Amino acid sequence: MESDQLKSNLAPIVKVENFHLHYYTRRGVYKALNGVNLEIRKGEVLGIAGESGCGKSTLGRAIMGLIPRNAAVVDGRILINGRDYLKPLKDYYKNTKKFKPSKNADVLKKVNNEMSKIRGQEISMVFQEPMTTLNPLLQVGYQIAEVLLYHSPGLLASRRLSRSRAKKEDTKALVKILNENGPNEKFREYLKEKNIMGLEDQILAIWRRKDLHDLKKEQMIEKLCCEPINSFAKNYLETIEKENKLPNFSKIPIFGRIVKRELIKEGYKKASEFLGLLGIPNSDKMVYMYPHELSGGQRQRIVIATAMINSPQLVILDEPTSALDVTIQAQILELIKELKESINSSYMFISHDLSVLAEVSDRIAIMYAGQVVEVGNKDAIFDQPKHPYTQMLMEAIPTIEAHELKGIKGEVPDMRNPPKGCMFRDRCPYAMPICAEKRPDLIKVGEDHYVSCFLYEGGKS
Amino acid sequence: MLLFIPTLLGLTVIVFVLIHIGGTNKLLAMYLSPRLTGAARQQIIAELDQKFHFNDPIYIQYFYWLAQIFQGNWGITNTPIFSGPVTQAIELFFPNTLMLTIFAAILIWLISIPLGVHTAVNRDKPSDNVIRVGSLTFYAMPWYLIGIILIIIFAVWLKILPINGTVNPSLVADLSWYHNGISYPTHILLIDALIHGNLVVAGNAFLHLIMPSVTLALGVMAALVRLMRGTMLETLDQDFVNFARAKGVPEKVVINLHAKNNALLPVITNFGYLVAGLLGGVVVIEDVFSYPGIGMWLTDAMINNDMGGIMGGTLLFGIILVVTSLALDLIYAKIDPRIRY
Ligand SMILES: Nc1ncnc2c1ncn2[C@@H]1O[C@H](COP(=O)(O)OP(=O)(O)OP(=O)(O)O)[C@@H](O)[C@H]1O
Ligand code: SF4
Ligand SMILES: [Mg+2]
Repeated sequence: MESDQLKSNLAPIVKVENFHLHYYTRRGVYKALNGVNLEIRKGEVLGIAGESGCGKSTLGRAIMGLIPRNAAVVDGRILINGRDYLKPLKDYYKNTKKFKPSKNADVLKKVNNEMSKIRGQEISMVFQEPMTTLNPLLQVGYQIAEVLLYHSPGLLASRRLSRSRAKKEDTKALVKILNENGPNEKFREYLKEKNIMGLEDQILAIWRRKDLHDLKKEQMIEKLCCEPINSFAKNYLETIEKENKLPNFSKIPIFGRIVKRELIKEGYKKASEFLGLLGIPNSDKMVYMYPHELSGGQRQRIVIATAMINSPQLVILDEPTSALDVTIQAQILELIKELKESINSSYMFISHDLSVLAEVSDRIAIMYAGQVVEVGNKDAIFDQPKHPYTQMLMEAIPTIEAHELKGIKGEVPDMRNPPKGCMFRDRCPYAMPICAEKRPDLIKVGEDHYVSCFLYEGGKS
Repeated sequence: MLLFIPTLLGLTVIVFVLIHIGGTNKLLAMYLSPRLTGAARQQIIAELDQKFHFNDPIYIQYFYWLAQIFQGNWGITNTPIFSGPVTQAIELFFPNTLMLTIFAAILIWLISIPLGVHTAVNRDKPSDNVIRVGSLTFYAMPWYLIGIILIIIFAVWLKILPINGTVNPSLVADLSWYHNGISYPTHILLIDALIHGNLVVAGNAFLHLIMPSVTLALGVMAALVRLMRGTMLETLDQDFVNFARAKGVPEKVVINLHAKNNALLPVITNFGYLVAGLLGGVVVIEDVFSYPGIGMWLTDAMINNDMGGIMGGTLLFGIILVVTSLALDLIYAKIDPRIRY
């Protein structure tokens, strides 16, 4: 019974199988990913570590389907909840004599169209550089609201409609219920009965705030009612609420704008609530600001909020703290940890800072030259590193400032002409003849602990 | 923001220096009708000396000259198509040119921005190559050649567009608001016709506007298509565009909202140079199509070595450029929240 539950908890959301990706450039073909095997399970934080250029970002972006036109999906697959979205790209590569970025871009367009349905909804991503991740011309509230507009217009519509449907006595009654029992079944039943479910997260966002006096909260909640609505917009919002689908705005010329504006406005409200829940002060003003008015740390919080607002199943964090200074780094890490507690998502946390990974991860995968060379539970990786490269990384930690993965002798192989055998052979103190001949597979060396190295083949451990 | 005032002053200094490279005589030539002789001529020279202080040091003279310019005393012009004060020539000829240029600028904007976006999004595909080669071909061709090709196609073969002037003369023969090729009150025939409710003339004037403005547009459009394509390609690689995709925003919105608006910023900045190119083109094109605008008058002024016309034109074009870039700055600031005054 218990182990069954464990299993379903551990079922993977993303499964990367023997994935190969090559970048076609003027200076040659860079073989960035050379057979990645990896899975990301429900509710876990998977840390990814490896030197600069080993393909961590490439892997993260490939899972998102954010593949540049000059990148060929050469082999393998990435399953997201069982579905391989990148198959058309691989099929194109396999069936063409000469890879052309412009043809690849055509296929990519289709992939983008398919994946836009799950991006921001099932999977989302936070980039490394908060200064360039936000659109400089749009208010941050709009940029958050956009996610809701395209994925949950129904929620926005129902929030707006519920404020027009609710009567003063309804909100008063809800405050009373909350004061007596908190947000329990009775609270939800009342909302359902009055057809004002859209009020739920608005009320709770106020109720859960820690910076307000109870009386003030009650006043604010009581005000969530009796907001009149344009009757034309109302009809459309009701359809949107029912179908959770945006209408074709171009078919409803003038009123389309009104409806869209109502939705976006509601998105700003929800964005500000969400930022408030993340403990960001003055969130109701912040949503009307432009990125250049915010600091790097604030921007990264906005980016994280944007990625999280739809409670996706998986969030890929590509060095979310590397571009920030140390104190801000700590705050952002704290935020991510809190989110991990409150929203039941999985995380893929990319970092070249092992001390950060030690803090946040459940499992850790070590990448080298476009492959996962070792993966296992955090403790196993730190206490019993198996792969010679991992061992060297662990030894390097205490001697290197800021724990960066730099202090290892030797060069990464030229990725235009990777060696036939083990990629690490040139730098490996244990290299054997077989290491030059073929690539080692990932083999099991312990409970949920895998390594790709010939030292462990043949049951040695 | 207020930088345009020193720019304008700098412009007047340059024009003044240009005038004086040839000595005082050139300035005199701007203000003195060559038809005057004898005592009358001497008297006018004396009057001009009163105003311009020809014997003072040159930097003092500049301020006297500037004072005259500010008072609207831009000298006189003497050409076969017009003789009289420069300002009056500008008042009569410039509106037509303005109409032509604005019409061409709108055409350029409406056509090249979408083309630039399209070529960037469809990079290296056949349509991209065709558009790029096509627009570069027009760019490489001299204006008059484009004009002549259009004339052959649309006027000689297809016979659907007029090639000459602003209107069919028989239509305006006895209109009360049209004399000697000039319409009243705005001097722009199309607009005047609309003001007077004469739709036949307005339609005809519009037809006459098509070929010159299309020629003008084709000649410079390539520059804008290229620029837009380049900035768009750059923007499409930016993190925030990928982040918009990562949010699940539909590709159409990614391109038209997130990428395009950002890619437009450098294009707006450079649109000023394009307007400069248009002004250069106008001089040639008005000649090709016998379109009575400032270009026709300036061509005449150059042929006849008419100092008043040449310097007046230089000053006018300079002012237009400064005003255009001021307007573009304002538009830029409206779009980009990072710019504040
Ligand atoms: N668009 C691209 N075109 C060509 N080569 C690319 C492109 N993007 C990445 N690469 C190359 O692919 C390799 C892997 O890059 P990637 O960004 O995935 O590394 P990384 O592990 O994230 O490194 P870092 O720690 O520096 O972020 C690098 O050698 C890089 O130069
Ligand atoms: S496979 Fe061989 S070369 Fe590669 S890490 Fe293991 S021992 Fe070293
Ligand atoms: Mg990276």
